[in-house]
Amino acid sequence: MKKTFLVNDILWMTFALLVCIGGLKLGFGTFQQPHAGFMPFLSGLLLGLLALVDLFSGLLDQWKAEKKDKEIWSEISWGKIIVTLAALFLYTALFSVLGFIIGSIFLLLFLFRVMEPRPWWIVLTASLVTTGLFYLGFKVGLDSQLPRGILGF
Amino acid sequence: MELLGYLFVGFSVVFQPLNLFYCFTGVLIGTLVGVLPGLGPVAAMSLLLPATFHTTPVASIIMLAGIYYGAMYGGSTTSILVNIPGEAASVMTCLDGYQMARRGRAGPALGISAFGSFIAGTIGIIGMMLISPPLVNFALKFGPPEYFSLMVLGLMILTFLTSTSMVRALMMAAFGLIVGTIGLDNISGLARFTFNIPELLDGVGLVPVVMGLFGISEVLLNIELKTKREVFTTKVKGLLPTLEDWARSIRAILRGTGIGFFLGILPGGGAVIASFVSYAIEKRVAKHPEEFGKGAIEGVAAPEAANNAAAQGAFIPLLTLGIPSNVVMALLLGALIVHGVTPGPLLLSQHPQLFWGVVASMYIGNAMLLALNLPLIGMWVQLLKVPYAILFPIIILFCLIGSYSINNSTTDVTIMLVFGVIGYLMKKLSLEAAPMVLAFVLGPMMETALRQALIKSRGSFSIFFTRPISATCLIIAIALLAAPLLPWFRRRRPGVALERDETS
Repeated sequence: MKKTFLVNDILWMTFALLVCIGGLKLGFGTFQQPHAGFMPFLSGLLLGLLALVDLFSGLLDQWKAEKKDKEIWSEISWGKIIVTLAALFLYTALFSVLGFIIGSIFLLLFLFRVMEPRPWWIVLTASLVTTGLFYLGFKVGLDSQLPRGILGF
Repeated sequence: MELLGYLFVGFSVVFQPLNLFYCFTGVLIGTLVGVLPGLGPVAAMSLLLPATFHTTPVASIIMLAGIYYGAMYGGSTTSILVNIPGEAASVMTCLDGYQMARRGRAGPALGISAFGSFIAGTIGIIGMMLISPPLVNFALKFGPPEYFSLMVLGLMILTFLTSTSMVRALMMAAFGLIVGTIGLDNISGLARFTFNIPELLDGVGLVPVVMGLFGISEVLLNIELKTKREVFTTKVKGLLPTLEDWARSIRAILRGTGIGFFLGILPGGGAVIASFVSYAIEKRVAKHPEEFGKGAIEGVAAPEAANNAAAQGAFIPLLTLGIPSNVVMALLLGALIVHGVTPGPLLLSQHPQLFWGVVASMYIGNAMLLALNLPLIGMWVQLLKVPYAILFPIIILFCLIGSYSINNSTTDVTIMLVFGVIGYLMKKLSLEAAPMVLAFVLGPMMETALRQALIKSRGSFSIFFTRPISATCLIIAIALLAAPLLPWFRRRRPGVALERDETS
């Protein structure tokens, strides 16, 4: 049994069911006069039916053509991925408060060290130079409205 | 003669210094993102889309188009020298290109790839010039049922040609349709699935979705990889293919051009599928199929020609029907709308300078690309030496700024990150992002067309089958849906054949 694909189809079916309920709440209308929930309901129904087909075809041949659970999940550097994502969400949450320059320097300091540890002075220089180039390119060159934050520029 | 007159108008547009500059910038950035693994044309175009808001529509589209076909050229360099596709349409080039490099023939592989791309690109532009005007007259007959059926056909073709399970590809298309319903309903104005988040009233933005699914997810995948790149830098010499190379490649280039152009025009087709199909067909018609995967030059020439011809062909449904055939075209559709230009049958008559300017820019852009990709190959090789540990933070910062600068909103950045995680999980579970994105883009248009058609027919679905164009599209779509059930088709389906090629 390849649990990954079983769970995957069940999750899609659950999601499809929620969308169908949401569609009905919005109002399906009639075929003569379709309402706002018409398309969400039909799309949810389609997704649910397809997930069901996928589940049954998988159960029938025991997902022979698929990778094993171990092959999919075992060799992942979960630590790096979770930490990177956490840093990105944190950066997004603090982007407006800290501003582009401060936020980006901290983010880059962190990201440059995630893959392979390097001396801090190299990481700091790379972060400062990269942030500076991005600032020049986007803020000065392309007039992008990047948040000023605590620095005020 | 009329055609030459229009082309003259196009060249007079493209030779304006501003447009030439944007054309060069586009193909340069395209080559760059093609060379760099992890940052494809979709992410680059999304990123630069806000930057084009300040310029003219013609310059903007010329640059964005240049990024697209430029990436087709650049992607082959990474495939051949590093065995990592610079972008998705160059996956097939890895198979024989890298093997040629290992045998000390990186030069001819890069050479035939650039020349093949140039030939295919040029033929593709000529095809685009010839086909677009008559197609516009045909498209004027389209009403809501025809548009709906054509979009259904497009989605069906994309899911049919996908290399993974067709059911799962359709699941992703359904998911895309659902995401496309988020925001205000076009007809009633009712908010759908917005969860009281004001930024979602306008719907989920295409750029954050695309950057998440293709940019952030790719970075996350690369973080977990522990492989080291091996770059064949010392053996890049003799870029000009020999006469024997040409003799072996020219038919492959022409076949690849034909296949690529045809698949590019079809809604749901595109450069990635074109390169896959052309490789599979080339292997089937080859005198020595056993050489494929071991350094056959036809295996480089055909997919490279196909992806470039498809890149040109894909502009036809967008500019004549207003229907994007793939994700890149969806971004261009967004760019055109931002500039107040509505793509569709009236584009040619209302904005001839834009249409013919873009066509002419492709001639110039292709010539620029040949110059960028052959004499300057050493520069691109040097770029490949940059460690991924340095590249990936820069790619992430590009994505973050790109998604933020669309609406100056951190909600868009959050959406991008969420779709980055979704895209990562999708790749892990062999779920393809392309059908999802295309359905997401076509979804609102499909919904409007479906509801308008049903209101017009008083709720009768027969309207889709009693009108010839609509009926033809739906019958083909149904045939494609049913085809995988036939054992004969199951064996010969291009995507399935590919899976075997890749694993063998």
